[in-house]
Amino acid sequence: MAGSLTPALRLETVSFSYGVVRALVDVSLALAPGERVALLGRNGAGKSTLMRLITGLIQPAGGTVWVGDWDTRHRTPEALARSGRVGCVFQHAEQQLFGRTVRDDVSFGPRVAGVPAPEATRRVERALRALELERHAEEHPYDLPPAFRKLAALAGAFALEPALLVLDEPTSGLDRALRMRVTRALLERSVAGVTVLVITHDLTFAAETVERALVLDSGRLMLDGPLPALLGDAARLESLGLALPPVAALSAALGLPGRPTRQVDAARALARVAAGRPVP
Amino acid sequence: MVRLTLDRVTFWYPATKAPALRDVSLDVAAGEVVALVGTVGAGTSTLLLVAADLAPRVIGGRLEGRVHFEAPEEASGGRRIVLPTPWTQVSGMAFTVWDEVAFGPANLGWSREEIARHVDRALAKLGIAHLASREPAALSGGELQRVMIAGILAMDPGLLLLDEPTAELDPAGARILWQLVRELARGGAGVLVATSDSDAIPEFADRVIWLELGRVAAAGAPALVADEALCAAELGTTVADTWRMAGLAAPYPATVADAVRRWPAR
Repeated sequence: MAGSLTPALRLETVSFSYGVVRALVDVSLALAPGERVALLGRNGAGKSTLMRLITGLIQPAGGTVWVGDWDTRHRTPEALARSGRVGCVFQHAEQQLFGRTVRDDVSFGPRVAGVPAPEATRRVERALRALELERHAEEHPYDLPPAFRKLAALAGAFALEPALLVLDEPTSGLDRALRMRVTRALLERSVAGVTVLVITHDLTFAAETVERALVLDSGRLMLDGPLPALLGDAARLESLGLALPPVAALSAALGLPGRPTRQVDAARALARVAAGRPVP
Repeated sequence: MVRLTLDRVTFWYPATKAPALRDVSLDVAAGEVVALVGTVGAGTSTLLLVAADLAPRVIGGRLEGRVHFEAPEEASGGRRIVLPTPWTQVSGMAFTVWDEVAFGPANLGWSREEIARHVDRALAKLGIAHLASREPAALSGGELQRVMIAGILAMDPGLLLLDEPTAELDPAGARILWQLVRELARGGAGVLVATSDSDAIPEFADRVIWLELGRVAAAGAPALVADEALCAAELGTTVADTWRMAGLAAPYPATVADAVRRWPAR
């Protein structure tokens, strides 16, 4: 396994094209163990292409993708997943479940990765618990609403207990209560040292969940920095095809001290200012 | 004039005992945009399938009560649904986005010129004219969702039924969509839209209907999305919810603009 100083993911001047359409141009970045990062950008900016490169489904036309200490060029997607270096959930994962029960589906990864049975069972339980799916474990996935199938797909990736989790639009179709559930689960994984990379348009979810933002535009990495700073810059957001999420907009419009971007921080600042108390 | 009426509708999916909709009554008239909200499993998608005449007619199941749809005589002007899963709505018959968008209109028996006019207009309205010659299978999720919406718009629907139409869209795409919904209503269409994006509702909806466990739990003006009960169900806007979380008194502001009006200068 990779040592803790090795980035969980490193891209060196990576490029990729679909025929004449240049999807990614000279993208370089590195994610440390335990980091929580959002990959942002307009539709068609190259986000899903980046995900396919990380998971080994496609190979870079130029540059190198390192997942832990492995160069993806010499590895199959299956080997990458089985090695515990990366686990991923694609955009429409809720359409890709095939187990007879949610538990079956979640168990698939560890079983195929050759995890011994008792350990596999523990991992599956942990994954189901992390996404609060215990109650649905014995149900057929397609008897559940799509949002719960989505959570089951997330649990499947969790059960592999990979060093790097890559999730494409994990909150689409989820209501706020379920989005918060995903946030809690990802924070927990991150504390355990897992690197989390989420591709999302949902900046409200991103603000609650991640600390760092990567923004792609026309295949180029236009920004790599702290998410709260980006959320405090409406003009920059606009130029990157992003929109100010409501909490950051509220903080700015009311002049809340510290311009909080997470809801709980904004609520605390609101309460203090309303009560005439200083905000620390 | 277009009008959709559901009168005490209860609906069961095939081989299920518990109904997915229970005693639902509502109507959507020409020129109005009605937002449907509910937690996962509340029945908003089912209600749209019933409104589209796909349930029970196509997918089976059993319906009690009455669904009535009035529309003008033309082949266009009917009720059309955009599913939340654009990749399941692709015809699979087209090699280009232009042909994909033309698929619906071509089935309405229009002249070539009329089809072309509608397709070009729909592509322009969704901001995807530049995708016209691309292959549908090679599009990103958000691009494909816009193509599917364009395909429905190109048929000039009288009643537009949208299920999570912004799920895959970037902010610019979402803004275009909500503006378009208003524009269609101004043109005389009725729109019924299920969305989990409560924050967008005040800017596009005339009315809000809240479903809970298949029943209409409440219905009213867009301000409903700042209501205490809706916030408690995690369906309120982010601003209302933040206000509530701060322990400030109701009524909560629904939007940032409302909050600014409520917030005394300090």
